[in-house]
Amino acid sequence: MTAKVLQRAAIALLGTIAIPAMASAQETPLTIGMSTTPTTLDPHEDSSAPNNATSRHIWDSLINLTGKSSNEPELATEWKAVDDTHWEFKLREGVKFHDGSDFNADDVVASLLRARDKPSQGFASYTRNITNVTAKDPLTIVIETKVPDPLLLNSVSRIRIISADCKDASVQDFDNGKCAIGTGAYSFVSYQPGSNLTVKRNDSYFAGPSHWSNVTLRFLPDDGARLASLLSNEIDIIETLPADGMERVASSGNLQIINGQSSRFAYLGMDVSRDVAAFATAADGSPLDKNPLKDVRVRKALLMSINRDAIVERIMQKNGTVADQFVAEGYAGHSDKVEKVAYDPAAAKALLAEAGYPEGFSLTLHGPAGRYVKDAEILQAVGQMFTRIGIKSKVEVLPWAMYSDKYSSGDFSFFFGAWGVNTGETTNPTVALVATRDEKKGTGRYNGGGISDPKIDEVLAKASSTLDEAERKPLLEELSTQTFNSLWLLPMHYENVVLGAKKSVSYTPRGDKYTLAYEVQPAK
Amino acid sequence: MVTSIIRRLIQALFVILAMTIIVFIGVNVIGNPVDILINPDANQAERARVIAHYGLDQPIWKQYLMFLQGLLHGDFGDSFVYGRPALGLILERMPATLELAITALGIALVVGLPLGLYAGLYPKRVSSKLIMSASILGFSLPTFWVGLMLIMVFSVELGWLPTNGRGPTMELLGTQWSFLTGEGLRHLLLPAFNLALFKTSLILRLTRAGVQEVLPQDYIKFARAKGVREGRIIGVHVLKNLMIPVVTIIGLEFGSLIAFSVVTESIFAWPGMGKLIIDSINLLDRPVIVAYLMMMVVLFVVLNFIIDICYTILDPRVRLDAKA
Repeated sequence: MTAKVLQRAAIALLGTIAIPAMASAQETPLTIGMSTTPTTLDPHEDSSAPNNATSRHIWDSLINLTGKSSNEPELATEWKAVDDTHWEFKLREGVKFHDGSDFNADDVVASLLRARDKPSQGFASYTRNITNVTAKDPLTIVIETKVPDPLLLNSVSRIRIISADCKDASVQDFDNGKCAIGTGAYSFVSYQPGSNLTVKRNDSYFAGPSHWSNVTLRFLPDDGARLASLLSNEIDIIETLPADGMERVASSGNLQIINGQSSRFAYLGMDVSRDVAAFATAADGSPLDKNPLKDVRVRKALLMSINRDAIVERIMQKNGTVADQFVAEGYAGHSDKVEKVAYDPAAAKALLAEAGYPEGFSLTLHGPAGRYVKDAEILQAVGQMFTRIGIKSKVEVLPWAMYSDKYSSGDFSFFFGAWGVNTGETTNPTVALVATRDEKKGTGRYNGGGISDPKIDEVLAKASSTLDEAERKPLLEELSTQTFNSLWLLPMHYENVVLGAKKSVSYTPRGDKYTLAYEVQPAK
Repeated sequence: MVTSIIRRLIQALFVILAMTIIVFIGVNVIGNPVDILINPDANQAERARVIAHYGLDQPIWKQYLMFLQGLLHGDFGDSFVYGRPALGLILERMPATLELAITALGIALVVGLPLGLYAGLYPKRVSSKLIMSASILGFSLPTFWVGLMLIMVFSVELGWLPTNGRGPTMELLGTQWSFLTGEGLRHLLLPAFNLALFKTSLILRLTRAGVQEVLPQDYIKFARAKGVREGRIIGVHVLKNLMIPVVTIIGLEFGSLIAFSVVTESIFAWPGMGKLIIDSINLLDRPVIVAYLMMMVVLFVVLNFIIDICYTILDPRVRLDAKA
């Protein structure tokens, strides 16, 4: 028995040593080191960023969401809104799944409905308006929505199209490869949960075959491990290059730092609704008779006291860009009317005195630790800057598991938050962060400051049901103007996407921080 | 012997029961898993549906009873995060951890025992003193630092070994093992050595202390006087007598290698159970945490039992039934 096992082991050993030598010269492998770990290959179970980025390699959607959040044809070649609640999509002809079967309208219907009806409800925020999906003919589908939904295209771009044969498949069937069959640029080879996914080039991909013959996604959440893999040349490109490794990468001859702006917007929120804020007291610790944060002058003074340039430059090591509103220039809803508030501690002090707090007051700042880029360090710095204008501040950071529930339900008086503007336009952050909290309408889920601005609610309602792009644009801008000229949130920065890569590859970072092998190019 | 086994299993059952209660309450105190799992874009109604789907809308005692009911049918519940049975998830990661733990323990034994014996037999030699000083380093250097240094030196600078990951695997007895392939062995080397470092020092020092305790004993002197070969004295009379504490430590340390190799697994991105449990704690994935801890209780009970059996072999005076 043991002898037999040993014998087999020996044969296996010989076999694997021989394989690398046999690899052909044309192989163009690519290995990506991901900083987060997907939980499953089932593309409809959970819509977290690592899951969606991973599934994007094997599957396509009707619409391709580009790195700048615009919609481009993918499995659908064209689309139009037939009326306020019906959208028609023409499907691409001649597309085949990796197993050779034809792609048609049945697959789309099955996929969209599966994503909507999965018990985990991972895609609920994208499918909430879809009442029905029907196949008009094998290459045309119609989506019926509950209400006019201007974000339908964005929603549809997130739902991967699987084969209709797999519509009842379990999570396991995807993880073991049985149903890991898509129309995408790569086909499934192997998957080790929590460790890696290997795929190979789909030579008949409709948009042209990828440059890379084999792609391995390695899941390396540990900063040190990810950096070491890059430095030892095992991996071609890694996500979230740790700040401590920047110098080494920059000084090495064959590696480079790739930097780009992401759509994650970091802000400071505060209690603007209660008459007495729980964590704001007079400088000597006695309770205040009113909530200073309700005064827009105080909020402005706070923002003026924060040296955001220094935070981005030093603490974030340039891995961020100072923000004044939800989205950067070039995205829908960026408003030129938002007043930029510059760093000016002297004016801040004067403004604070004008608002009736010449002696300042005392404030506790809450934030998460390890959730966002340098979150705890940033909050510490903000606390010190507040102290300089006379606001005695205390900083408390909590693990995300404890923090997330508390900040969204309004337990804090002053808090640090960040929002990935998934849709690349301003209704998305407004609904979650600024709109009046309303369980029935589903607005204000993360409005931890209790903001309630009737003007914003009104514009939001209008923008959320206007399909016409030209009509919608000024409304989206209005949301930014109103939110940031009232300083309901103090804008901080956009996080940057920072990748480390070999000089032999080039990559344009995406706003959603995904690293997609198909978009990685060999350097010229 | 049988009664002793039964008695231990009953004890284990009580420990498991107490632990499930602690985990259930603990996870609830920390926060709400739904807030971590859910897509931030979800609205209140969608959030409520997810909470109901996981059964988290029920009062905690009811959730606990439902869990116990599932347990009676061998169902540990589905992981909140992975959407799959928690037990299957853990078992799937087990081979990776097992092979790492066994390799590390193997290294620790092969290196630690002979060196300890040597240092105990010839304590005055310079080489013995060197060995003892080195073992202090093995004790006191933090695992994560040693791990990072190993990667820096052997992978990044010298480029001899891969930095992390498990490498290609091969099937044996229905599971995937990486020690069966050459690449896999190369991947295994650094993490196993990193894990083994502390254990080696521990075994080394224990062995040395044992040798020095046994050597002056009368029966050793008597054996020498009788003219027994030195090899037999050391191999049988010394070694067998110092093995009892060593076996205890090996057993318990093996358990902790399996259960708590989190640091090494994280640094070397080794897809084992340690990494799974730390991820699950961060995500408040209660079913996985509970199932994992239950398995660990059983593991330690079984290990202790094996240790006891080893005692009876090493020292015929020890009787399991009498002791139990």
